[in-house]
Amino acid sequence: MSIRFTIPAALLLAAIQSGAQTRTPDLSGTYDIATLTPLTRPARYGDRLELSPEEAKALEQQEAAVMAATSRASDPDRKAPPVGGDGSQGAAGNVGGYNTVWIDRGSGAFLIDGKYRTSIMTSPKNGQMPALTPEGRKQAAARGRMNRANTGVAWWVKEGVEPGPYDDPELRPLAERCLLGFGSTAGPPMLPVLYNNLKRIVQTKDTVMILNEMVHDVRIIRLNSKHDPPEIRRWMGDSIGHWEGNTLVVDTTNFNDTPGLANATRNLHVVERFTRIDAKTLRYQFTVEDPTVWVSSWSGEMLWPATDQRIYEYACHEGNYSFGGILRGARILEGDLTGKK
Amino acid sequence: MRTKAFFAVIAAAVAGIALWRVVPVYAHHAFGAEFDPNRPVLLKGPVVRVEWINPHTWIHVEVTKDGAKQVWMVEGGTPNSLLRRGLKRDTIKYGDVVIVDGYQAKDRSNRANGRDVTLADGRKFFMGSSGTGAPYDKPGAEQRK
Repeated sequence: MSIRFTIPAALLLAAIQSGAQTRTPDLSGTYDIATLTPLTRPARYGDRLELSPEEAKALEQQEAAVMAATSRASDPDRKAPPVGGDGSQGAAGNVGGYNTVWIDRGSGAFLIDGKYRTSIMTSPKNGQMPALTPEGRKQAAARGRMNRANTGVAWWVKEGVEPGPYDDPELRPLAERCLLGFGSTAGPPMLPVLYNNLKRIVQTKDTVMILNEMVHDVRIIRLNSKHDPPEIRRWMGDSIGHWEGNTLVVDTTNFNDTPGLANATRNLHVVERFTRIDAKTLRYQFTVEDPTVWVSSWSGEMLWPATDQRIYEYACHEGNYSFGGILRGARILEGDLTGKK
Repeated sequence: MRTKAFFAVIAAAVAGIALWRVVPVYAHHAFGAEFDPNRPVLLKGPVVRVEWINPHTWIHVEVTKDGAKQVWMVEGGTPNSLLRRGLKRDTIKYGDVVIVDGYQAKDRSNRANGRDVTLADGRKFFMGSSGTGAPYDKPGAEQRK
């Protein structure tokens, strides 16, 4: 080829590349992923993925009614709650939590392709987590043995369990230690939680950043890159991405021993797909596998609606008085049994 | 121990309401790890300080017991949620009398969870404000002092 043709060809190629770059979808923005649609499907829906408009409306009304009911005035002459606990379950641990004014978990189910959903999970088709492997069952049982009702008594001393659940700060949950947000809020996969569900995406030619409001966890996704060597492990794994048409595909491996996702291990592997479906909405899809704990992979999808709200700082160590209180409290409960103060 | 299992459903934490979610809804830390079910408290007194901090807000309440004044710290949720509802640190008026029911911390310091925090007339704290964008704030609703 003569130089006469080479230069225009090079200019044409540059123009095509430039055009291709401008056509790369822009995922930038701030998103609020709060939703009443649960991760796993309520059993009553069976294999049904879609929620009817009437059911979705009922769900919204039910939530609004709950919020209204919990916002009503209380008896100003009320007494202290009952001795022995109020029966609250789970993390509320028999003592309750705080008023619903603090909670922001969305006001309705999300619509995908014009249909409401019964669950975020799309696979397995029953919307439930796959069965645990024998190792997964073993690990779950070990956690279960440490997960007791809150009676205000140091049961681990009575039963001679060593180490006890409060014997070392590093035995405490990651969120309690302000290392990661709870409930896989930063993920991956990035799942909705009780509050602070905002995400901010900043995109450059070779990197996509996702800022998670909770604990200001930040994911840095390298585009068209290779994974770190396997000995390099991270709390949120090592994420690399590439474009498939209009979809950003993100592959994450190299987790450390305790990913944010419940039950997962260092062998967790997550593939996420981010697709802009309109000026104000992203479609977020993910597939999770961890052969150590689940017999098969599982998948889900939801929407990330843009929001005009701002992300605020969440400096978790700023006022984490609870952590010291929990450890001090355990020592006092132990002293109640041993007589040592 | 993998203690993520401690983070389980907090549905009942929220004033005993039944939430539609069936997946675990988590909290920053398990209140069951921090507070003692055998030490219920009812606190009444003026707000003297608010720590508008993460992961949880702490409201300081001055309580008079047997003629002596004590300051109790009451644990709430993240301030970020309230900021998005238009509520700010100075929405709270120092000197406002509040009623708190909850449970004392296991470390037996003067700390409790704010299981239900209301103004003296029973209206929910934060929700009793008007013109702030607070939830269920109705135009023309009575202004707090």
